[in-house]
Amino acid sequence: MPPFSTLPLDSSDAPSLEEQETIISISDLSFSYDNGKSNTLRNITLEIPKGQVTAFIGPSGCGKSTLLRCLNRMNDLVDTTKVTSGKVSILGQDINDPSVEAIELRKHVGMVFQKYNPFPKSIYENVAYGLRVQGIKERDVLDAAVEQSLTRAALWSEVKDRLDSSALGLSGGQQQRLCIARTIAVKPQIVLMDEPCSALDPIATAHIEDLISDLRGEFTIVIVTHNMQQATRVSDRTAFFYLGELIEYDTTGTIFTQPSKKQTEDYVSGRFG
Amino acid sequence: MSRHILSAFESELNDLREAVLRMGRLTLAATDGAVKGLVEGDREQLSDVIDEDDVIDNLERSIDQIGMDLLLRYTPVASDLRMVLSSINVGRSLERIADHAVNIAKRGRKLIKQGTVDEVAQVEACYLDVRKIVSGVLEAYADVEDGCATDLIQVDKKIDQSHKQLSKSLTKRISSHPEEARPLIELLFISRSFERIGDLAVNIAEDVIFMAPTAEA
Repeated sequence: MPPFSTLPLDSSDAPSLEEQETIISISDLSFSYDNGKSNTLRNITLEIPKGQVTAFIGPSGCGKSTLLRCLNRMNDLVDTTKVTSGKVSILGQDINDPSVEAIELRKHVGMVFQKYNPFPKSIYENVAYGLRVQGIKERDVLDAAVEQSLTRAALWSEVKDRLDSSALGLSGGQQQRLCIARTIAVKPQIVLMDEPCSALDPIATAHIEDLISDLRGEFTIVIVTHNMQQATRVSDRTAFFYLGELIEYDTTGTIFTQPSKKQTEDYVSGRFG
Repeated sequence: MSRHILSAFESELNDLREAVLRMGRLTLAATDGAVKGLVEGDREQLSDVIDEDDVIDNLERSIDQIGMDLLLRYTPVASDLRMVLSSINVGRSLERIADHAVNIAKRGRKLIKQGTVDEVAQVEACYLDVRKIVSGVLEAYADVEDGCATDLIQVDKKIDQSHKQLSKSLTKRISSHPEEARPLIELLFISRSFERIGDLAVNIAEDVIFMAPTAEA
């Protein structure tokens, strides 16, 4: 039986920031896209605390999105990928263990993508989709979950009167918030966000950033962003990657005011990248 | 330190640095002029120090403006953020040092009017350390990677000690020669200004230490 089914689904009792309970532990992870001929990620070790927002930053090609995709095994979809060393543990469980089903893992580790991707269905059905896949059929349970998720995603007041309308009729910012509502509807413990605002205008971006702050504590959020000001606004901790290596990982305040590595300093202050 | 990709950002950071250094040079010239005018009994030089304080005040406003513009337009981070914040603080400290130069000049004019006293020579000796710390912190600001700001903080202790000794000797002299009380009291205040300038130079040294770039290669 996959151990993830035994994990507590209710993450509302997330500890305060000070407690720093680790939820994701990455240990000496190396990862390859070409069956181990060359490593895209090299010897990454970092611990991500529960209930906090952790940002991955770095120039294009540094491996931040690859690492994000390692956290819910999205890379499994590519045949030639391989974890060449190390492991990723979520709540103590090695997620690459053969006994762990990727689909089961993804119930606990949701993902929001760069380009919003609602299903060509109604707003209601988009949010209810994951719950229906889990076998929930009761209308009142689904109704409550849809309302709660849309409220948490700061979208309820905007769509409550048109839940049966197509999700594709929403604005870009609303579609992205709908995708976040869809992700959190199944109550994952961890939400991965891969540049969630890069296709949005400043107002829609502000809504998403506000939402990330609101979800902090209840969910552990790992966000990949190219926007360093966004990282300073939304994240508690920041990891800087360069050429597949983790260069520095510290509180966001430290990374953006007094980083200890010169490479970090040069990147965040716009001297290379 | 390597250059920024954004050349306008690099240029504006240089403008800020240059404005602070120019203000520093003018401030040091003001304290030099005030002490020289006092020692040489040169009222004209003392009046020049007072008149030129407006230029220094305007430079402080320019530094604030450039700093705010940098924060607004480029959202600096890491050593750039520390440099902008420190430069604004250094501008503030220099403006207060220049105000002390004006105080010294004004008291110098009064003292000349009242008739100078022998103790002026002691004040001149005390100024050597004051000058050392002010010029030292300005050099440290110009070359933050040099790391000499920490050593300069020690000079302030020497200035404090000189101020205590001079105050004691002036007070004693006032008691024994009450007819010279007024010019001696002016010197007491001038000595107090030296002590305050030392403290402000320490503030600048601390700002320079704060803005020093990440050391690790």
